[in-house]
Amino acid sequence: MLQPKRTKYRKQHKMNPKGISVKGSTISFGTFALKSLEIGRITNRQLESARIAMTRYMKREGKVWIRIFPDKPITKKPQEVRMGKGKGALDHWVAVVKPGKIMFEIDGVPSDIAVEALRLAAQKLPVLTRTVTRTDYVE
Amino acid sequence: MTSLEIQGFNRADLGKKGSKEVRKSGNIPAVLYGGDEVVHFTVSPASVRHLIYTADFKIANLDIEGKKFKAILKSMQQDPVTDEVIHIDFLRIIADTPIKVEIPLRFKGSSPGVKVGGKLIQQIRKIKIKTKPEFLVDELKADISKLELGQALRIRDIIVPNGIEIMTNPSTPIALIEIPRALKAAAAAAAKEVGKGGKKK
Repeated sequence: MLQPKRTKYRKQHKMNPKGISVKGSTISFGTFALKSLEIGRITNRQLESARIAMTRYMKREGKVWIRIFPDKPITKKPQEVRMGKGKGALDHWVAVVKPGKIMFEIDGVPSDIAVEALRLAAQKLPVLTRTVTRTDYVE
Repeated sequence: MTSLEIQGFNRADLGKKGSKEVRKSGNIPAVLYGGDEVVHFTVSPASVRHLIYTADFKIANLDIEGKKFKAILKSMQQDPVTDEVIHIDFLRIIADTPIKVEIPLRFKGSSPGVKVGGKLIQQIRKIKIKTKPEFLVDELKADISKLELGQALRIRDIIVPNGIEIMTNPSTPIALIEIPRALKAAAAAAAKEVGKGGKKK
């Protein structure tokens, strides 16, 4: 699963993402892409699950690009522990997405297969999404 | 070269407020530059649809309240969420003045690598060129008829017409014939067989 190799600090603040994604909102590599329409956190497990769903449906043909990286550590306190006594231990990694962010890109497969693969990937994600196509794409 | 007639209307209010008003009315704010004057105008989304959502390079014949201009689509801004076109930049074509444009790159011929079972992967779809309007072409062609399995075609292999200068690095790959997994596995198995045969002897 995706996670940073090393980090400067072990734990981060929660933060409250606002606005829309200005960077990474255009298709750069592929022909078809999955765009987020909401603010959300995508865990590294969800990313891996979506990637597997896509590549399985595409029968390992074509190419997939993952445009987001889970670089935010999320901590969690153990069950039945009283509040306080410091921040919890590292639990998992997430990628924060804002509306407009391109999360996955696909190329090298026909449009019907690409759209279905992206639909299957979208089912694994906790945000509303939309499938987008390059403006100069012709069937 | 294909061209498209686009009807435009001059804008009264410029700036953020004026642009928002234009978008609210269902039109797209646009600008034309490149000559001695800069023209701010509006266009309808339907009139520019065939200029934006196409794989072909087209010239826009702008008619802005009686004034006629020949231009190319220089750049375009889209809403990050809805992908609606929110602004268009047109660059005026003036005779004898060199312009930089991005034109589509197409392939001609059939590759022997593809016939064997390889997959043609196009790495660059558009190419930036510098040319004078009289030498402007609507596409550049690269010959893939000599491309074998595993080989790559580069910018320097493109057939460049007279008066056109390519702005991209000549060593940049534009297409390659990828060897599929099945072919790779078959080649590996064949190599293993040969190795075994040699040992027995």
